[in-house]
Amino acid sequence: MRRREVVQFLGGALALSFIPRNVESAIKLGEGLHLRLGDVPFRTLNRDQQALVTNIAEMIIPETDTPGATSVKVPEFIDLILTEWAHDDERAAFMAGLHDIDVRAAALGSPRFVDLPAAKKTELLLALDPARADKTGAGLAFARLKGLTVYGYFTSKPVEQEVLKVRIFFNGYQGNVPFTPAV
Amino acid sequence: MSAETYDAIVVGSGISGGWAAKELTEHGLRTIVLEAGRPIDPVIDYVQQVRPYELRYRGMRDRRRTERYQPIQGHTGACDEWSSKFFVNDLDNPYSFPEDKPFYWIRGRQVGGRSIMWGRCVYRWSDLDFEANAKEGFGVDWPIRYRDLAPWWSHVEKFVGIQGRRENLPHLPDGEFQPPWELNAAEQKARDIVLKKFGGERLITNARLAVLTQDHNGRSKCHLCGHCARGCMTFSYFSSINATLPAARQTGRLTLRPFSVVHSVIYDPAKRRATGVRVIDANTKQMFDVNARVVFLCASAMESTRILLNSATSEFPNGLGNSSGELGHNLMDHIMGGGASATLPWAQDRREIGNRPDAIYVPRFRNVKTKQPDFLRGYGFEGRAWRPDWGRGSEMPGFGASFKKSLIGDLGPWTMELYGFGEMLPRHENHIELDPHLVDAWGIPALRVNCVYSDNEKKMLDDMVVSATEMFEAMGATDIKPIKDNNPPGLVIHETGTARMGRDPKTSVLNSHNQMWDAPNVFMTDGACMPSTANQNPSITYMALTARAVDYAYRLLNRREL
Repeated sequence: MRRREVVQFLGGALALSFIPRNVESAIKLGEGLHLRLGDVPFRTLNRDQQALVTNIAEMIIPETDTPGATSVKVPEFIDLILTEWAHDDERAAFMAGLHDIDVRAAALGSPRFVDLPAAKKTELLLALDPARADKTGAGLAFARLKGLTVYGYFTSKPVEQEVLKVRIFFNGYQGNVPFTPAV
Repeated sequence: MSAETYDAIVVGSGISGGWAAKELTEHGLRTIVLEAGRPIDPVIDYVQQVRPYELRYRGMRDRRRTERYQPIQGHTGACDEWSSKFFVNDLDNPYSFPEDKPFYWIRGRQVGGRSIMWGRCVYRWSDLDFEANAKEGFGVDWPIRYRDLAPWWSHVEKFVGIQGRRENLPHLPDGEFQPPWELNAAEQKARDIVLKKFGGERLITNARLAVLTQDHNGRSKCHLCGHCARGCMTFSYFSSINATLPAARQTGRLTLRPFSVVHSVIYDPAKRRATGVRVIDANTKQMFDVNARVVFLCASAMESTRILLNSATSEFPNGLGNSSGELGHNLMDHIMGGGASATLPWAQDRREIGNRPDAIYVPRFRNVKTKQPDFLRGYGFEGRAWRPDWGRGSEMPGFGASFKKSLIGDLGPWTMELYGFGEMLPRHENHIELDPHLVDAWGIPALRVNCVYSDNEKKMLDDMVVSATEMFEAMGATDIKPIKDNNPPGLVIHETGTARMGRDPKTSVLNSHNQMWDAPNVFMTDGACMPSTANQNPSITYMALTARAVDYAYRLLNRREL
């Protein structure tokens, strides 16, 4: 909740008697209902799988001048989705795909992806990236990892607030604003 | 069993019920609104500002809960991790359909009904729509025309507050509009090209929305968060809770009773009038009666009809108001799901600031000036152009620092989607009835729905894909992807027509003022009353019909004719 924005927007403009007069109570809109999420322990991924998921998530969105996937707890989010959200067959297919990634790593010289040299890791992910439409195996696992990493990263609180600086209130719509990409 | 007495009873507190309550109380009538569901407290229940990271699944839904408790409601996108609480529990609210005729009945049972999470698109009809049944021999003729309803559309539009662009289209009349938001850079260019290349027959204009662009009646202009279906703390979009119920409350004549499941209408054969309604308290399951001089059924098309089917008497063994045999029949929805998406090759140096709740509309162009050989009636497109921002990440090739930088620092190309919404013809065989083997959590017989799209609608769906693709090709768009979703009826959430208005009591349930032929102090002003659906979103028409019917009922009451 962006308190300053709420306060600025509400101002004194609202005249309806049933809208809370107290801005603080307006700010609490909805806040009472949703779950307070603390740190959730890993429940589905074992230690090796955690390491693999964490390694790949951080390769997809690494720490630069802004946080990376690991520091905003993307691996924990992926474990939560696997544990509480995914269907059994989806979870099994993902786990099989993780195993397949390690099988492919073995072909590059290490039985575990996480133990590959950085260049070999990149080589393997470059091979998997075009295989994201695969229905099984390493391609499927990478597709899920990439989708959940991007989603988990950009919906995290630090990234919303400090990287994207998401605004909730706008004083008016502008549809034709100059834009230069920062890439 | 005790009976409270009021001047008027309104069953349901959604779009129609809210208007009935406002108009009845402002006419001086002591009115009780009976709402089956729970009360809504905007301070607690509106969740527009809850961010994804404050939700357990970041907005991906509580999937298992949805699958267990809302397997039907979950088919609509608005039943998400924020707003699923505004949709019914399907286990408590069962209904049935034949296995080969799925019908997705999307419902909201709370004060405000579905007006909390409605789409907010508001379009007038024209006589092209009102006359179509008579000209083409489907259903019955509307007993009214544009001139009858125009002043009532104006009446409700002025109160609702609607942003829209005046276009002077004979078949989509302008209304009482607040200034529209501008089209974004990509949409504006698309509008210019389509106007030029289709000779004015096809038009991209602003979606007309019940959302404020200026402060209005104590409600604040939209703050462009883009999440209307979660409620609105500034009351910027129209809903019963945000506008009509507060207005009714201000009269001092409103009694709002949540948790009041209406079981049936009580009919006195000696007086040939309804005396009130029978109600089940949703919490205690105790039954009680409420009496009044006039009853407005506004519980939604299928719920209001269900109440009447459950109000059978010896005189009306097939349901109160059913002497025509048409009660429950002629069920319609719209058909949606044909269209296309594409990438627009311009305005890459432009962006938008602010999240409009909806964007563009392509008014009907089939069977307007030229005859379409494959189907009757027509459809419009809803759509928008947007830059996908980080949302394109899962599909975008690459990974690593440059991938991340692109998702943060660039917005991706402009994408546009056109998604069609077409008219469904009224057919007697599409109907609802009481299921003899199924009751809801309160012991009230549930509905069995028999409804399928006809070839006319299916051909319209095919044409949506063709015409949307044509427009994108005319624009020079790239990556054109056809869209064809074969949704079952119900999912547009525009169910209508099960107690139609008409000119003849032998073929209709209601007269030209939404008054029941068989029980003149019963009015139905929700979607049940519609003899046809046109292709426009229907809610503003329910509002206008409701205000008009209240005015009529009030005059009859004053003359002691009810």
